[in-house]
Amino acid sequence: MIVTILELRAHILRFLQKFQLVVEPVVKFIIAFAVFHSINKAIGHHEMLMSLPAELLLSLLGTFTPSILLVLLAAVVSLVHVYVASPLLSILVAIIMVILYCFIARFSGKYGYVVLAVPILFLLKIPYVVPLILGLIATPMAIIPAACGVIVYRLFVVISNVALVEESMGIEDILLMYIDVIDRLLADKQMLITIGVFFIIILAMYLMRKLSIEYVFEISIAVGAIVCILGFLAADTMMQTEMNIVSMVFGTVGSMVIALVFQFFRLALDYTAVERVQFEDDDYYYYVKAVPKMNLTVPKRSVKKISEKMEPLPEEEETEADESPVLSDEERYAMGEELDDEPYENPVGENGDSFGE
Amino acid sequence: MLNNRKVRLMTRLAIYEQTEGKEDVRISKYFQTDYVRLNVLKTVVAITVGYLLIMLLLIVYHSEYLIREAVTLDYAGMLTRYVGIYIIVLTVYGAMAMIGYMIKYRASRKKLAKYFRMLRRLRSLYREEDGELADLEEGMISYDRDNT
Repeated sequence: MIVTILELRAHILRFLQKFQLVVEPVVKFIIAFAVFHSINKAIGHHEMLMSLPAELLLSLLGTFTPSILLVLLAAVVSLVHVYVASPLLSILVAIIMVILYCFIARFSGKYGYVVLAVPILFLLKIPYVVPLILGLIATPMAIIPAACGVIVYRLFVVISNVALVEESMGIEDILLMYIDVIDRLLADKQMLITIGVFFIIILAMYLMRKLSIEYVFEISIAVGAIVCILGFLAADTMMQTEMNIVSMVFGTVGSMVIALVFQFFRLALDYTAVERVQFEDDDYYYYVKAVPKMNLTVPKRSVKKISEKMEPLPEEEETEADESPVLSDEERYAMGEELDDEPYENPVGENGDSFGE
Repeated sequence: MLNNRKVRLMTRLAIYEQTEGKEDVRISKYFQTDYVRLNVLKTVVAITVGYLLIMLLLIVYHSEYLIREAVTLDYAGMLTRYVGIYIIVLTVYGAMAMIGYMIKYRASRKKLAKYFRMLRRLRSLYREEDGELADLEEGMISYDRDNT
């Protein structure tokens, strides 16, 4: 059973490696389309933007531009929708977005796209996937973009509740509506609870995965999921929110499965990134396609002798054990065999990377 | 003749230059103090803009009260309070930014050091190949110029 799954993974990875040039844009396009489609479904007011050609065009734009532009495009599209519903509200939303950027989002570093992922996954009812995966790959600093995403999502929830009530109104009504929005935002217990629980999940998983035990990542995911369910349950009983417990539990379980699948492919995916570079020296131009070796693909079977008393032989998992996350990072930039005599250094940036622009 | 070891090394160098290296090289053009100061300054500007916007929202939120009590308000007291909060926020953020960017700078420096070790390795490969130091110095310099 396990062997079949491992072989299946090897096949999938080989396929991805072979067709990386095609697969990457396709995946990006699907993500971009999901983003714009869920925005349109959630707060769609602008007819033209909601049409399929517009969605496809925007997604195409998001496919071939850096991912930061997708975040920006999504923000602009949502602002336009809000503007159609109520120009004044859109100004308020824009101001709040700028404030969020100035105080929080600019420190989210390479996890900036999380700000976008959280609201989208909230709409798909599996936002818990975000802390579960961030707990696996990031430092607790990653709570910064995650919190931002939660705030943005709750902001739009509040807005869409208010915008429904709005009709033609005078300056006093507008002021009242504005005060109402701010009041609702500040009184939003759900937002604070979600950010708090997300932070505890990321922190717990971060501390867990530092332990040197077997299956540490899988255990961390389980711990994260348990913390998630217990945290939201405790918060719900203490603070009386109107949260849907059943959907939370199912969402967490679903997120856990996604995180496990992610973990299953993660280390391997780090390896499969084919690099194309070109450079020259005095004699040649080099056009190099560097294909990483996948030494984890086909598991070796080892024969265990049980008739004699001896040290247990390494098990099948051993083939995978030699690509711990530290090594996989190291591998791509390491000096390789020529420099093996160099003292090994921890990959830097474990703490520093997530900081800054 | 193609030298396999050299190609391997140069590929590694090129991959680094095209991915993480870009940022590291950009950072390495600053001294640490300059880099940290520049980014702290950016943070200060961002915080100021954000704080002003928050004040704007606050003023609109309390506009009714402000207009009603316009004559009796303690403007000096309010000013001191909000400027005080601003200075506190600014100090906290500035300190955090300073520490954060310092860590980032050092991390990038370490990665760059690794890169230079690879370059040295390449230099010694050239030396093996040519047996002449002069050529290699020239080659190294042009390689540096082209790629960094």
